[in-house]
Amino acid sequence: MMRAGPSQEEIRKHNLGTLLRHVHLGGPTSRAELTSLMGLNRSTIMALTADLTAAGLVREELPKDTGKAGRPSLVVRPESSRVYVLAFDVGVDRLAAARVGLGGVILDRRVALRQRGSFDMPQVVAILAGFARQMLRKTRPDTICVGAAAAFCGAVRKSDGVVRIGPNIGLEEMPFGEELSGKLALGLPVNVGNDANLGALAEHTRGIGLGCRDLVYLHGDVGIGGGIVVNGQLLGGFAGYGGEVGHMIVNPGGRPCACGSRGCLEAEVGERALMEHAGRGGGEAVGRDGVRSVVDAADRGDVVAQEALHGVGNWLGLGVANLVNIFNPEMVIFGGTLREMYLGSAAQVRSQINTGTLGASREHLRLRTSGLGDDAPLLGAAELAFGKVLADPLDVLSRQTS
Amino acid sequence: MSQGPVLELRGINKSFGAVQVLHDVAFSVYSGEVTALVGDNGAGKSTLVKCIGGIHPIDAGDYFFEGEKVHVSGPRDAADLGVEIVYQDLALCDNLDIVQNMFLGRERKSGLVLDEATMEEMAAKTLDGLSVRTVTSLRQYVASLSGGQRQTVAIAKAVLWNSKVVILDEPTAALGVAQTAQVLELVRRLADNGLAVVLISHNMNDVFAVSDRIAALYLGRMAAQVKTSEVTHSQVVELITAGRSGELGIKNGNGAAS
Repeated sequence: MMRAGPSQEEIRKHNLGTLLRHVHLGGPTSRAELTSLMGLNRSTIMALTADLTAAGLVREELPKDTGKAGRPSLVVRPESSRVYVLAFDVGVDRLAAARVGLGGVILDRRVALRQRGSFDMPQVVAILAGFARQMLRKTRPDTICVGAAAAFCGAVRKSDGVVRIGPNIGLEEMPFGEELSGKLALGLPVNVGNDANLGALAEHTRGIGLGCRDLVYLHGDVGIGGGIVVNGQLLGGFAGYGGEVGHMIVNPGGRPCACGSRGCLEAEVGERALMEHAGRGGGEAVGRDGVRSVVDAADRGDVVAQEALHGVGNWLGLGVANLVNIFNPEMVIFGGTLREMYLGSAAQVRSQINTGTLGASREHLRLRTSGLGDDAPLLGAAELAFGKVLADPLDVLSRQTS
Repeated sequence: MSQGPVLELRGINKSFGAVQVLHDVAFSVYSGEVTALVGDNGAGKSTLVKCIGGIHPIDAGDYFFEGEKVHVSGPRDAADLGVEIVYQDLALCDNLDIVQNMFLGRERKSGLVLDEATMEEMAAKTLDGLSVRTVTSLRQYVASLSGGQRQTVAIAKAVLWNSKVVILDEPTAALGVAQTAQVLELVRRLADNGLAVVLISHNMNDVFAVSDRIAALYLGRMAAQVKTSEVTHSQVVELITAGRSGELGIKNGNGAAS
């Protein structure tokens, strides 16, 4: 059946969401700016802000000092300390939980190191839920939790948040979101996304990639994850597994990968490859410390470490070159441990890109390290958790307060 | 950035007595970009930078700033144009705090006394604008700071004066890996904020990690100025060590730069 355009109510819902999103992403914004940003007239903006203010999502204030003549336009601020989400990040070596306020402010956080080895879901869920309870206990009574989401170092099915495979922590088919949601017992579903996908989202909305509509984010943990933003949208693929650049084969028949294949980008560039090439396989330092120790040794003239970094840098450059040819991104961001790896082998990475890509594709390419650092996946999870309230602000709020 | 260079030198010659250090050097730097200045020891990098900074008068050649021909006859002239140089020794005073260092010699006054509040606010704003989170208190003595923090303060000091060109002499030398990463990111942020940055470095990873252009000096001549997206590591090494690489570089030793 044909529909006769959106109803008044739908338009209002859409406008409320859009206004809230502007304030959420752009921080305090004056009514005058909102008027021009949204292309609505002043009385509509006033009505919308009044609704959001009444719901306790934003508040309006006089600006401190505009330095201009005339009556200043009221500034609309997100109620960051009142409206928040719970965000979780499950990495190979690290578990993190945070309470993130509207506007993307981390209000509170808890971090635990995770021992490598087999993944014990009940234990991980218990730790994260415990963190959440600790943080919730410290909140004031007038605060409100409007969502929860987790970043996970594995391939996550979009439809139900089931982690299909996490090769670096050895697990398959795990209903992580459901488990965590049950343990939290807040009556909120926990959305789950791939950590690198969410990292890309965070860098795109509040990090170094702000304003870039086309970017590739590469996240180094033990493996290599990727998130690709095309024309402002995260590339999800058919079922949500898009952007797994770590399993792009760069060296046919090369090193075995935890996924079962050989010569994947993460097999050649991941932490294990670097440590083994540097003669530190099975060593004491792992994760970021391990990578740093190799870069440090190379810097001090350790030939083995230098060779290892050169090799890894060449494969990384080759992988990025392929991505640049396919997606023509404006920016490629190196996050997680890839930050250190890129800075320590940039000469190789760039040389490979410069010889392996079309001149036109790399002309405006910018290579950057993460602007949010280790918080990128966590803040991306927060964005995912805010998704619902931004889509329909009043409905979510009324359900949570009732 | 497709506009012209913010600072451009043409045909610069400089001799110390009988020794000619710079031969007909051309050099351009652009707003919003990091230009890496590379070259072997004794290639003339420091001399070129001191000519830009007005410390050495140039013997011949033209100095253009924002398209206008200018005469720089001293460090004050360069500072007035908006050119700041951070030397390797950083020129910080250990016995002064961060704010005092940033305003050293250019203190703000209100009436007869120093305007500490305004200075502290400006210093805080500058560090904030550079997203510097490593410094906890602005009233810390510089003696108590780490190498990376000192470098950060020295760079912030250069940025404070609405400068347009900031020249950094080996900012990552003598720093550990973690601090090198922070300083490199700061260098990149300066350019992303719109400044023209010149980075002198011997470390090819640093050069390739953050630069947009590479200018290679060889025995006092500009071997080549290239975009970082157009060259490989080995080409740059050849330019540094031999002055040429394939089509790039000095042709047949007649001193003409490409």
